[in-house]
Amino acid sequence: MSIEQRQPVRVVVLGGGTAGWMSAAGIAALLPGLASVTLVESEDIGIVGVGEATLPHIRGYVEKLGIEEAAFMRATHATYKLGIDFRDFGRIGESYIHPFGSFGEKVAEVAFHHYWLELARQGLAGPLGDYSLAVAAARANRFTPPAQDQSLASTYGYAYQFDATLFGPFMREHGLKLGVERIEGLVTSVEREAAGGDVGALALEDGRRIEGDLFIDCSGFRSLLLGGELAEPWEDWSRWLPCDRAAAMPCAHVPGAPLRPYTTAAAMPAGWRWQIPLQHRMGNGYVFASGFLSEDEACAAIRASAEGEPLADPRVLRFRAGRRRNSWQRNVVAVGLASGFLEPLESTSIYLAQMAITYLIELFPEAGRIDDRDRDEFNRLVDMEYDRVRDFLILHYHATTRDDSPFWDHVRTMEVPASLADKLELWRRAGRIEKYSDGLFYDASWIAVYVGQGLLPQRHDARAAFADPMRVKAALDRLRQAIGEEVAAMPGHEAFLTSETTRLADPA
Amino acid sequence: MSAARDPLQRVVVAGAGQLGVLAAIGLRRALPGAEVVVLGLAPDPGALADRAATALPFTNRLHDRLGIAENDIVTRAQGSHRLVTRYFGWGEEGQGGAMPYGASIDPALRTRFAQEWGGGPRNAAGQMPAGSLGEVLADAGRFAVPPEGEPSPLAEVDYALRWHPDGYRALLIETARKLGVIHAPGELAAIEPDGAGGIAALSIAGAGRLPADLFVDCTGPAALLLTALPGFALEDWSVELPLRRLIVARPQQGMLALEDRFSLLSEGWLGEVAGRAGLQIALGVAPGVTEDAALRALGAPPLAGFQLEPGRARAPWLGNVVALGDAAARFEPLAHLNLDLAHRQLDLLLELLPGRAIEPPERAEYNRRSALTMDAVRDTLAAHYAAPAAQRVFGLPILPPALAGALDQFARRGRLPFREEAPLLGQEFQALLAALGFTQGRGPQAVAAQGPAASAAAEALRFRRQAEAALAFAPPYAEFMVR
Repeated sequence: MSIEQRQPVRVVVLGGGTAGWMSAAGIAALLPGLASVTLVESEDIGIVGVGEATLPHIRGYVEKLGIEEAAFMRATHATYKLGIDFRDFGRIGESYIHPFGSFGEKVAEVAFHHYWLELARQGLAGPLGDYSLAVAAARANRFTPPAQDQSLASTYGYAYQFDATLFGPFMREHGLKLGVERIEGLVTSVEREAAGGDVGALALEDGRRIEGDLFIDCSGFRSLLLGGELAEPWEDWSRWLPCDRAAAMPCAHVPGAPLRPYTTAAAMPAGWRWQIPLQHRMGNGYVFASGFLSEDEACAAIRASAEGEPLADPRVLRFRAGRRRNSWQRNVVAVGLASGFLEPLESTSIYLAQMAITYLIELFPEAGRIDDRDRDEFNRLVDMEYDRVRDFLILHYHATTRDDSPFWDHVRTMEVPASLADKLELWRRAGRIEKYSDGLFYDASWIAVYVGQGLLPQRHDARAAFADPMRVKAALDRLRQAIGEEVAAMPGHEAFLTSETTRLADPA
Repeated sequence: MSAARDPLQRVVVAGAGQLGVLAAIGLRRALPGAEVVVLGLAPDPGALADRAATALPFTNRLHDRLGIAENDIVTRAQGSHRLVTRYFGWGEEGQGGAMPYGASIDPALRTRFAQEWGGGPRNAAGQMPAGSLGEVLADAGRFAVPPEGEPSPLAEVDYALRWHPDGYRALLIETARKLGVIHAPGELAAIEPDGAGGIAALSIAGAGRLPADLFVDCTGPAALLLTALPGFALEDWSVELPLRRLIVARPQQGMLALEDRFSLLSEGWLGEVAGRAGLQIALGVAPGVTEDAALRALGAPPLAGFQLEPGRARAPWLGNVVALGDAAARFEPLAHLNLDLAHRQLDLLLELLPGRAIEPPERAEYNRRSALTMDAVRDTLAAHYAAPAAQRVFGLPILPPALAGALDQFARRGRLPFREEAPLLGQEFQALLAALGFTQGRGPQAVAAQGPAASAAAEALRFRRQAEAALAFAPPYAEFMVR
């Protein structure tokens, strides 16, 4: 019997937050006929609404679902994002932008950063960010979409900063249009099948039973199905990523201040503080480690440091870093916080949900029957993605000279995972980046953070010193000049945002 | 503040075959202030990378970077172009298919940002493209090297080069001389260890001592330098690769063809590599086939026979010795991978070129990446023996786990998991599997796609137009070569 003739797989999504509606809409849009999607959510349960800031990959998701960018941006009050400005991480008073883009080009097989290190040693180079178009545009508060070619104007990407509490509802609306059935109700128990022990149905408070073949656990930190019912073990990463709370407080924009096309992450005594500019407000929050700071102290700190008029009292979220050993167990797949959590330092929350959805769709049960090999493949891919992001996040804390608080003393001196220790050693000794091409964060990202946080290698490639330094300097100056000209020709971020959303809203 | 490393002062390349000489050129270009010496050992006849008359498109790019002009290879080493490799009978009797090069690049990955930062190579594979221009051109016998930097209907067509190894080596030697590479003829008398797991100097019979900071072992399967080091260990591939004997025929009358062939016979596989210098025929002899039967299957007078013991060095870089080509990994010349792998390793060495003092982490990184490539080569070869009909000739395969997983995903889901550092692009491996007679399953998205007939028809029409334009643009290959 061929797969086409089967009944659609009954997919039940538990939880109507960002991950839940992204999963439901994604599956409904990309697997029509193969899956029937039911989503169970309760108005009594709030959503975390993670990820006000995103990575460029979100554009692929929006596009694949046939959602018009302008409509999406209007509905979520989105702005454009070119990267993240990290302040005070390596040392108080220093900052750098980790851009969605690259720095310079390799010359004669030697990566750009070796030449930059050599010129910097001789005092002939500007900051590394001077050689990135994304950084220069961000600093100038300008934006235009990148070119689709191989020119300098193609060397960056962009993402969105949006209101996460509006993104879920937007995806809900879209999901409903795609035929997702929404059920309002509280789950009171989970029914298991006698044979095999798969989850068979969710029992709701009002007595209804929601049967399914495949359950997607998007119940957030509670991880009701995977962590709760199936008791999938938790791998705890808090020894490396001790932040376990966030105090969030939205603010009004400071009148007259430019709308930044980037997110700001400012290091604080017991964590870091985000500023995410949206169309209508500024997202603010303090991610902190409760072992080093009380919730009250954190709320006071965010009140004291936020720049605009507060729009609400600080709200505290609790979490812990880590992931379930397997994200897919039996017929339960966890997506988003139910699967694992990595703090939003590099805006990876929505990416991690999207990644899991993408792999799930690729490995969707054939003829409704889950094959162990597909489940193993899914878990292998999800683990690889989480582990790579984890190491990259730990780097932000560990690559520091800060010794001004017990928190920074701890993260500066802690023992890091062996996989990260190897990467650090390769960088320190030879100025090289451990190469991979799958997952997230490649060479340019690692270099941005290493250099930005003052962790320079002891040695760089000998070949970078062969050329006449004045000639290399001239080449770098030309690049900086060309970047400056590109940026000067870009419209301001706010102007572009206004004209673009207006134009697309009114095609006439 | 970071300081530039002390550059290598002296590098010795052991082995003066086509691989050793190109390695010397690469090192000399990278290190204009260093002395690069090629120790001209008598070439090992079993060094298949050194004997190779062809490689894959990667080599063209490496040549470009190292200043070896393609035109010189064509005019002075009887060079010619290959657009596809055809496979006959691997799936079943009468089945055949072609493996072209390159990926019809995903438009979403066209920008430099996307290539370097975003998107990842998440090759959910999907279905085969509507067709391959390379195959259409090879079928019609038409081709011209696309004009550089100009849009042309052939711009997306990628190709491999073939050449006469003697002519090619002579061309490389001339280039090396011009660059100031030093040639030291002689035989290796002794190896002087440096007490730190590497080599201090080589003693050359009658010519004294050759000390160096870095030694590159291009001595073929004997791996004279690498095997002399205390940390040397071999990884045996004989379980995964069942071929033990290879017979090479005397080169036959040269021919201009845009394709090479690998046919499965009951006696093994028969490789036919065309070219102006001669048609190279080789038979990979199946286990249990008699010498007489093998010679009959070869169909041409034999020139030489080789015993194969496939495997790779566990770590091709030990101390200050880096092994390339057959010294690092030895295997049959089945998919033009021998010299391709050697050139990828050379390129990796040039990327990760150490300073005078070698740092252990950079050696580890080289070995990690190089091992990924070597194992992907092994798995590409093993995929051949796992083809439906090949199993009857070579016996039930014992698949490496990564390949077993990939073949399973391909058959059931139509997808290929991404492999870091693999020599073939995802789409090329997909085409290879199809040519070998593996059936590609359909992924859920392909099954669910609404209106697939319409979009497939549109895609087919678009491809037909492209193919017509390419055929109109490209002259008959022989005409192009006469210019």
